Amino acid sequence: MTLTATSFDWVRQLVHRESAIVLQPGKEYLVEARLLPMAQQRGLSGVSELVESVRNRPDAATTRRIVEALTTNETSWFRDGDPFTALTGMVLPSLLGGRRPDEPITIWSAACSSGQEAYTIAMLLSDALPDAARRVSITATDLSREMVERTRAGRFSQLEVNRGLPASMLVRHFTRAGNEWEISPTLRRMVTATECNLAAPLPRMGPFDIVYLRNVLIYFDLATKQGILRRVRQLMRPDGWLFLGAAETTLGVDDNWERVVLGRGSAYRPRKGN
Amino acid sequence: MRALVIDDSRAMRRIVGSILEDFGYETRQAGDGRQALDVLEEGYLPDLACVDWNMPVMDGLQFVSAVRSNPAYRSVTLMMVTTESETSQIVRALAAGAHEYMIKPFTADAMRDKLALLGLLPQEVSL
Amino acid sequence: MSEHASSLVQQPITDVLDATTVQRIADDVWTALVGDGEVLVPLPVPAPEQTVSAWVQITGPWCGAVVVTCDQPTGVALTECLLRARPPAVIEPEDVDDALGELANVLGGNVKSLLPEPSSLGLPQTGPTPPASRPEDLCRVDAQWRGQSLTITVQGATGAPHAERNEVPQ
Repeated sequence: MTLTATSFDWVRQLVHRESAIVLQPGKEYLVEARLLPMAQQRGLSGVSELVESVRNRPDAATTRRIVEALTTNETSWFRDGDPFTALTGMVLPSLLGGRRPDEPITIWSAACSSGQEAYTIAMLLSDALPDAARRVSITATDLSREMVERTRAGRFSQLEVNRGLPASMLVRHFTRAGNEWEISPTLRRMVTATECNLAAPLPRMGPFDIVYLRNVLIYFDLATKQGILRRVRQLMRPDGWLFLGAAETTLGVDDNWERVVLGRGSAYRPRKGN
Repeated sequence: MRALVIDDSRAMRRIVGSILEDFGYETRQAGDGRQALDVLEEGYLPDLACVDWNMPVMDGLQFVSAVRSNPAYRSVTLMMVTTESETSQIVRALAAGAHEYMIKPFTADAMRDKLALLGLLPQEVSL
Repeated sequence: MSEHASSLVQQPITDVLDATTVQRIADDVWTALVGDGEVLVPLPVPAPEQTVSAWVQITGPWCGAVVVTCDQPTGVALTECLLRARPPAVIEPEDVDDALGELANVLGGNVKSLLPEPSSLGLPQTGPTPPASRPEDLCRVDAQWRGQSLTITVQGATGAPHAERNEVPQ
């Protein structure tokens, strides 16, 4: 082991500050294993050298990558199933009722992580709409460039495809690529991934029929939440639908939304007349 | 909820069994497909059977076919839990009647996700 | 590809697999099976004198075995980790054989998925480390787990048709 106690402490403090995750003493080997590839990529002999170089010349991108390497966990496909059941069961039929048959359906997966949510939506819509490949466009955005690149690649590890992806969908929509699984080109073409910081002015995109903004607001203070919800609303069509995480709501944050109960969950719609 | 864990590895039976017990299941174990059929014939009808593929005496695919061809066992949900991970193998298992398929290695979180998909996650531990 | 492969002399494993891929498979196996936060560090340490091995055989266009090798105390520690939720009072040698065998089985299944179809997996075996055949038909990861040596090899079978017949890479 090459990791010094000082380096380990520095990494512990960094990860705690940035992610609130506590690395217990004794997890030196974890730090070593997760950061060694990054050190080697930079031609450094070990993790302590990597830590030293960042301490001497602070660099936000590298710091962020260190935190990501130590905190990234695989996310689920049909995470909290309700927003997906509601998509094909209620939201899509309602939208199609108000659209011409050739009008596109536009969806935004905000804070898309490695793309599971965007591709879950793509799989569901390609089953529900015969012309989905032509008609549906899904914009996936994330703060992290690495996550955007992973979404674009559409490749997932064995552990990732085990997380709540039905086996029938795995064999229908993925092919093996080495020890990973790759999403079908048709579905990948439905998804466009770009970097985007939700807490800052948003890039030109939309307007969207459906926005998935789940488990994002919980990380921000009230003023930032209000700013995000306002900017998201500006990018939505007046009859659009917004899905938040199960523990999130617009109530008490932004009055310009109407809560609609959909099955066991709920969605939010821009309030009329605003 | 009741589960039958079928694997020739004792370690794997313990791992799968203890994950399911953490989710509120009562579990029984069998070391191969034949032993598992004996358990069913005894009258123990689980909600879920987690079945390894490669086992001595009777493998998981034969077990799945046998269970699915007996209407008395229709209520049993079958999930293959195996290291076989080629698309062709997954298709074979689904065609034989497996309801879900979990590739080893997997985490407890992955098991929870699969149970949720199958509607077999007891309510009180749903998150 | 599989139709061709089965009629040809066995290609060396290094044509389809490298140590990095094996390491990546092992990373997933360690995280999921040995424990969250448990990692196999790809830095070799001196090999112990007395080792135990567990392996599964792969039969198909390529014939060989996926072998896990470590010393006895490391085998016991791995077994304790695998059985973390329900460890028996005393870990018997059969428990260690079984746990190492399952590790080899899961590694083997994932390796098999990278090989030409149809390939099949045997049941796990344990014992003294089986000999490898020619050195070029060997993919080897020398690593450490909790500071102890642990080696994973994907090795051609000694009786495989290539041994005396052909040394020419396909």
